[in-house]
Amino acid sequence: MELFLMTVTTGIMVGGIYALIALGWVLIYKCSGVLNLAMGELTLIGAYVSLSFYSAGVPFLLALLFSLVIGFILGILTERIFLDKLIGEPVLTVIMVTVGLSFFFKGCVELVWGTDTRVFSPPVFPLKPIQLGPLIIGQVYLWSFVAAIILLCIFVCFFKYTRWGLAMQATADDEMAALSLGISARFVYAIAWAIAFMAAGVGGTLLGNINGLNISVGYMGLLVLPAVVLGGLNSVPGAIVGGIVIGVLQNLSGAYLDQFFPGGVKEIAPFAFMAVFLLFKPYGLWGWERIERV
Amino acid sequence: MSTTFLPCGDYHENYKQDHAWWQTKFIKLKMILLFAVLFVGIPLCADSYWLSVCNLVGYTVLGALGVQLLIGFCGQLTLGHAAFIAVGAYTSTLLVLEFPWPKFLLDLGLAYPVSIIVAAIAAGMWSVLFGLPSAKVKGFYLILTTMAAQFITVDFVITQYVSQIGGRGQAFSLPPGTIKVGPWIIDSNLKVYLMMLALVILCVAIITNLLRSRVGRAWIAIRDNDISAEVMGINVVKYKLFAFFVAGFIGGIAGAFWISNLAAISPEHFPWFWSLWLVGVILIGGAGSIHGAIFGSVFMVVVMELLQLAVIPLADTYPKLLMDFLFIKEAAFGLAICIFLIFEPNGLAYRWWQVKNYFNLWPFSY
Repeated sequence: MELFLMTVTTGIMVGGIYALIALGWVLIYKCSGVLNLAMGELTLIGAYVSLSFYSAGVPFLLALLFSLVIGFILGILTERIFLDKLIGEPVLTVIMVTVGLSFFFKGCVELVWGTDTRVFSPPVFPLKPIQLGPLIIGQVYLWSFVAAIILLCIFVCFFKYTRWGLAMQATADDEMAALSLGISARFVYAIAWAIAFMAAGVGGTLLGNINGLNISVGYMGLLVLPAVVLGGLNSVPGAIVGGIVIGVLQNLSGAYLDQFFPGGVKEIAPFAFMAVFLLFKPYGLWGWERIERV
Repeated sequence: MSTTFLPCGDYHENYKQDHAWWQTKFIKLKMILLFAVLFVGIPLCADSYWLSVCNLVGYTVLGALGVQLLIGFCGQLTLGHAAFIAVGAYTSTLLVLEFPWPKFLLDLGLAYPVSIIVAAIAAGMWSVLFGLPSAKVKGFYLILTTMAAQFITVDFVITQYVSQIGGRGQAFSLPPGTIKVGPWIIDSNLKVYLMMLALVILCVAIITNLLRSRVGRAWIAIRDNDISAEVMGINVVKYKLFAFFVAGFIGGIAGAFWISNLAAISPEHFPWFWSLWLVGVILIGGAGSIHGAIFGSVFMVVVMELLQLAVIPLADTYPKLLMDFLFIKEAAFGLAICIFLIFEPNGLAYRWWQVKNYFNLWPFSY
């Protein structure tokens, strides 16, 4: 029972980070209809940028802020250079451009920062675990979760209460109507990419704090795909719930299935689960069901 | 169904002519020339290094043909084709190394050819298994299930279980002389090259013939609009699964072929990168045409080799460059996909078609 509770708690905490990255993904999809397969690399870039600042002696929060700013700029640049020209192209084209982007980013990251595992040193969060009732939790997990939740709240408030956020909501809801109200759709797309870069960057930084930073963090970023599919592609609450569920599921399968299938169960369980889940609920928990007409 | 423009005054008089592969004298001449170059010219002129490049091209073509069939002709997006190639390669390796072959088969050198066929069928079945979700989902969701196929097959089943068979650890080594086709032991790049040509021609023939039959028309109808196809009485699920089978079959052949070129086989030969690479190849070549798969493979492999050749002289001054070449290659590949999709979305095959038409219609090209 203790093991179960521990696993679930850790899962929820890691899931919070996935939820943050998944939010960025859903945002791009909702606003511009782009199915982004480069999310893993976006997490990598943000994580490495903040690691570089942190290693240079900048305080952690400031480093995080810098990486947010750089993520914002990179996001807008990416959208303007690559995605902007593809509005109205077939789905496969756009998906493959994001795949191309993911290769490009990954190659660049490897060129600049190499492939060795790097750690945040000195450690950002104290190493001593915290005792919460019967549970023992690493502080890294706890603070990452708190940070992820705070950012999630900031993003949600941004959508609800600011002018830009409302413009994004309107575009996501009905692009034509939004255009007729004088909202620039291109601007919204750019902002969506910028926010996705920022969210992924923070998520990557937090993930990098847990296990050290190398290319495989990009693979963790790929785990948002099962998360968003679970929640439904165009649902923000779905992304958050999906992220947390995937985190819990991953940890549970690592704890309980590993004895039956030794090896990489933890890595593939989300994908296997997603493949089965799709058979029964192809539109996820809260996704819009697409009605097709000939 | 004729796909060629016939010159003025040239008519078909019977169905046999209409169904002919090479319909005009010019095309016949062109194809004979092409075969002469492939079978005689390249083996005579190319040294071992360029032959190995050709083999890589052939392997890419075999892999890309399956992806082309799924994406370009049947509209089923797949990002996990390396899994099926891996299944083919591992089935063939295991059969060759571990199966108790009867003596006469070994003497005749049929063990490897038989294993290729078995591997192709196994990979086809495996592909159908992961194609099953296509009955229910499509587009992006299908991409995700094929991604799941990649991770489950290569990173889990093969790495954790299949690689342990025989207790050899992570890699199966293929001792020289294991791969034998008939009386010939496949031990030089030239022999691999000739086998590759035979397999590529066989697979291209299979796909071309399928495409101009009822099956191919059904696939194209499903790609263009699956609901309309169903309304027209096409059994969509059946044909989709058949497309997955054929794609997996050809992937299996590709994998089984590739072990003849390797000294050892390990899961690292079939990463997710390779699946994405194959999709990139057909997009650069042009989706929806067999020329596309071939042009794309030639283009990508040759460009990467040239890039490598360009890096080697620079390595004296910048030794780090050689180490980083893998990353440069990755970034260049990504950029190439983006640039092609943005500026030449129809791929190289479309350019080829335009050039051909220009000469066909010259001097009145309108």
